[in-house]
Amino acid sequence: MRWATRPGVHVDRAACAWLIRRFVDPDAEFVFAADPGAIPAGATPFDMRGAALGHHQGRCSFETALASVGLTADPALEEIGRIVHEADLADERYDAPAAAGLDVLIRGLTLTSGSDHDTLTITGRLFDGLYEHTRRQLITGRPPA
Amino acid sequence: MGMSQAEDWVLLAYRLPRVPSTPRSAVWRKLKRLGVAQLGDGLVALPADPCTREQLEWVAEEVAEHGGEATLWLGHPLDTSASSAVVSRMTAAVAAEYDAVAAAAATVSTADAAARRRAIARLRRELHRIQGRDFFTCPQREAARRAVDNLAETATAGART
Repeated sequence: MRWATRPGVHVDRAACAWLIRRFVDPDAEFVFAADPGAIPAGATPFDMRGAALGHHQGRCSFETALASVGLTADPALEEIGRIVHEADLADERYDAPAAAGLDVLIRGLTLTSGSDHDTLTITGRLFDGLYEHTRRQLITGRPPA
Repeated sequence: MGMSQAEDWVLLAYRLPRVPSTPRSAVWRKLKRLGVAQLGDGLVALPADPCTREQLEWVAEEVAEHGGEATLWLGHPLDTSASSAVVSRMTAAVAAEYDAVAAAAATVSTADAAARRRAIARLRRELHRIQGRDFFTCPQREAARRAVDNLAETATAGART
C-alpha cells in the first residue's frame, strides 16, 4: 500500500511510518506531499491536516494510529505513544523524559539526511530499539542494563 | 530564532462559536503556550518555520473539529515599525517570564535542601516551556538559566556533604 505524509519528517511522522511498516503493512511505500491536495490517488494520508490518522481529541497522530489499527493492547506501544506525544506536543500530559532526547535526535537527523526516505530508514532503527527497550522495561520493571 | 524582522510569519485566522466556551479557552491556552502574537480578534501570528507552521496547522484542525473556521496564511509585514512593535511585545512577554524564574530561584536559594531540589526541577521545566516560545533569543534567557544552574550547584554541593 501507499502511504502519504508531509516532507521534512519529524517525530510523529517517523513514529507513524515505523508503526505502519512494522505492524500494519510490511511492504508500505511512503510518499511525501506538502499539500494535502497533492497526495497521489489511493495513498492513505497520515499526520496531515484533514487525515483520519492525524491529531484528534488532543492526541498526536501516532496515538490516533494506535487506536485505529487496534494496537492499544500492546503496553510498550502505548508507552511509545506517550513519548511521541510529549516529543511532538510537549503539553506535559505525560511524564516522558525520553521525549526531549528523541525530539532533538530526530530534528538533527532531518537536518543531515539526504532525503525523507533516509530519515525513515534511520528512525525505523531508532524506534525498533525504543520498542525493545520499552518492552523489556515493562517486563522486568527496570530499564534493561 | 534570531530572525530579522522582514522574514515570514505564519498567521492563523480563526473563528469559534462563543458557546460552548470550553473549546474556545482550550484553543486560546494552546495559542498562549505557543507564544503567539495576537494581531487582532481571532488573528494570531508566529515567526514562520516548519515547526510553527505545523503547530498552527494542528490548532486550525482543532478549531475545525469544534465547529469553527480556521485559515492559515504565510506573509511578511509591509510596515516594519509595526512589526518590530509586535516583536518587542513578544520579547517583553518572554522576558517577564524569565525574570520570574530568576526571581523564584533567588527566593528559594535560602530554603532547605529538599525545597531547593523541588524548585530546581520545577524551574527547569518552566525554563524549557518559556524557551519554546522565545523566538528572538531574549537576553534574559541566559540570566534565568544561570540563576537556576547556580541553585543546582549549591543543591548538589550540599548533597555531597
